[in-house]
Amino acid sequence: MEFLSQIMIMAVGAIFINNFVLAKFLGICPYLGVSKKLDSALGMGMAVTFVMTMASAFTWLIQSYLLIPFKIEYLQTIAFILTIASLVQFVEMVIQKNAPALYKSLGVFLPLITTNCAVLGVAILNLTADNGLPYNFGFSILNGFFSGVGFTVVLVLMAGIREKLEYAELPASMKGMPIALIIAGSMALAFLGFAGLKF
Amino acid sequence: MKYYLKLGIILLVTCAIATGILAYLNGLTAPLIKEVKDKEAEEARLEVTVNGENDPNTYSFQQKFLDSDIKGDSVFYYIAFNQDNDKVGYVLTATKTGYSSNVKTVVGLDKNFKIKKIKVIDQAETPGLGAKCVSPDFAPRFDNLGYEDLKVDKDGGSIESITGATITTRTITNSIKESLEKLMKLEAN
Amino acid sequence: MSAMKEFTKGFIKENPVFILVLGMCPTLAVTSSVKNALGMGLSATFVLLCSNIIVSLIKGIVPEKIRIPMFIVVIATFVTIIDMVMAAYMAPLHKSLGLFIPLIVVNCIILGRAEAFASKNNVFMSMMDGLGMGLGFTFALVILGTIRELIGSGKIYDFPILPQAYQDNPMLVAVLAPGAFITLGFILAIINLIKKEGK
Repeated sequence: MEFLSQIMIMAVGAIFINNFVLAKFLGICPYLGVSKKLDSALGMGMAVTFVMTMASAFTWLIQSYLLIPFKIEYLQTIAFILTIASLVQFVEMVIQKNAPALYKSLGVFLPLITTNCAVLGVAILNLTADNGLPYNFGFSILNGFFSGVGFTVVLVLMAGIREKLEYAELPASMKGMPIALIIAGSMALAFLGFAGLKF
Repeated sequence: MKYYLKLGIILLVTCAIATGILAYLNGLTAPLIKEVKDKEAEEARLEVTVNGENDPNTYSFQQKFLDSDIKGDSVFYYIAFNQDNDKVGYVLTATKTGYSSNVKTVVGLDKNFKIKKIKVIDQAETPGLGAKCVSPDFAPRFDNLGYEDLKVDKDGGSIESITGATITTRTITNSIKESLEKLMKLEAN
Repeated sequence: MSAMKEFTKGFIKENPVFILVLGMCPTLAVTSSVKNALGMGLSATFVLLCSNIIVSLIKGIVPEKIRIPMFIVVIATFVTIIDMVMAAYMAPLHKSLGLFIPLIVVNCIILGRAEAFASKNNVFMSMMDGLGMGLGFTFALVILGTIRELIGSGKIYDFPILPQAYQDNPMLVAVLAPGAFITLGFILAIINLIKKEGK
C-alpha cells in the first residue's frame, strides 16, 4: 500500500503541483500551437505522453549503463536528444501505419515532438532526484508518464477554452497568441493554488 | 541497403567528431568545475565554523562518512579542529526536497551538537518566497538551537517560518534534524 | 538580401520571440530576472551563431535524409560546450539557468534557422542571420525580464529601482509563472496593435 500511496503522491505532484506547462514552463510551443481543437489536443497530448514515458525509460538506461560507467556524463545532452529523435521517428511511423487520421491532423507537429522541451526536460529531471520519492527505473518511468498526463490535461483544458473563445468578442490585437497567453496565465494562477499541497 | 549504411556511417563519424571535441573540452573544464565546487564547499564550511575573531587558516577539517544519499552517493560530515588540534565542532551538509528543488544547507555545530550557524548553499525555491531562505535574516533563526529545538513555529517550535514559505522553512529544519540525528549517533562515543 | 538586412531582421521584423513566436519555453522560464535573461540570450546566441556557421559549412556534404539528426548533433555539441564553459567560469549563472541550458538544444529557433536558412545560404550570411536572430532573441528576453523583475521585485539586474517599501511588498506574481504568461501576452497584444496602426 505504501507503494500505491507513493504513486498517488507522484501523480498529483506531476499533474497539478509541478505541472510541466504551467509551473515548469516546458512544452509551451505545442501548448500554444496545437490547443485550438479538442481532438487534436488530445491526440497530441497522448502522443507526447507516450514519447515522454518511453524517453524516460531509454534515457535512464543510457545514463545508468552507458554514461556513468564510462564517465562520459558530458555526452548526456547529445545522447539524450538523439535517443528522443529516434523515438519520435519510430512513433511517427507507428502512427502513420495505425492511425492515419491522427497522423494527418497532427501534421508537422508530430516530428516537432522532438523539440518539445517537455520530453528532454523530463529525461533530465528524472535524474535530479528532487521529488522526494524513490530514485529508481520504475519511478522514473512513472514520472515521465504522469508528467505527460499533466501536459495533456492542460492542453485539453486550453483547447476547450479556446474552442469556446471562437465565439467571443475580442479586441483585434488580442486575437490569437495574446489571448492564449493570458488564458495560460490565468490557468497558471489557478494551478499556483496547488503549491504546497502535501499529504 | 548500401545507401543506408552510408547514411549511418556519416552520422556515426559526425558523432565521433563531436565526442572527440567534447572529450577534449571536458578534460580542460572538469578539473576547473571541481575546483570551483570544492572551494565553495570549503568556504561554506569555514563560514559556519569560524568564530569571528579567529583566522580561518588556523582551522582544519577531517572528513568522515555520514550516510548514502538517495542516488547512492556518499554524504560526508566534517570534524573541525583549531590550530591546537582540539576538536571545536562539526560541519554537516543537510539536503532535502523543498517545494520545487533540493535545498542544501551547511550546518556548523559546536562540540555539544548545538548549532553555531547555518548557511543555505543550494536551492531553487520560489523567488520572493522560499528563495528568501538565503536572505541574511533567515540563518540567524537557527543560531544556538539544539536537536530538540528544531521545530518550525507552525509545528509548535521556535523557528519562525518565512512568510508564505512554510514548506521551505520546514524542509530546512527537518533536513538539519535528520542529519543531526545521524551525526549524534555516529559521534556518540 | 544584404548582410545588414539579414542581421537587423532578427531584431524587429522577424524577431523570433515577438513575431515568429518561437523559443517560448526559455522566454517564459528565465525572464524572472534580467541577469538570467541576458545569460540565456547570449548563450543561445553563441550556440545559434556557431551552429549556423557549421551547418552552412557542411551543407554540401550532408545527405538530405539525415540532415535533421546531423543538425541536432552539431547544435547539441555547442550546447554542451557552453554548458561546460558556464559551469567552469560562471557557476552562479549556470546554477540559476539550470535545466534550461541543456534545453537550448531544443530551442526551436536554433533548429529552425539551421533548417530554414543556414542549410541554404553561405557562411557569411548564415553568420549574420545567426547573430541577428540570437541578439533579437536576447533583446526580447531582456525586455520581458526587465518588466517582470521591476514589477516583481522592484529591481533591475539586482539594482534597486523602486522604493524600499515596494521592494518589501512587490507584485510577486510577475516573477512567478502566471506573470510570465500574462506579461508576454500583453506585449504581443501591444505589438499587434502597433502592426495594425502601421497599416
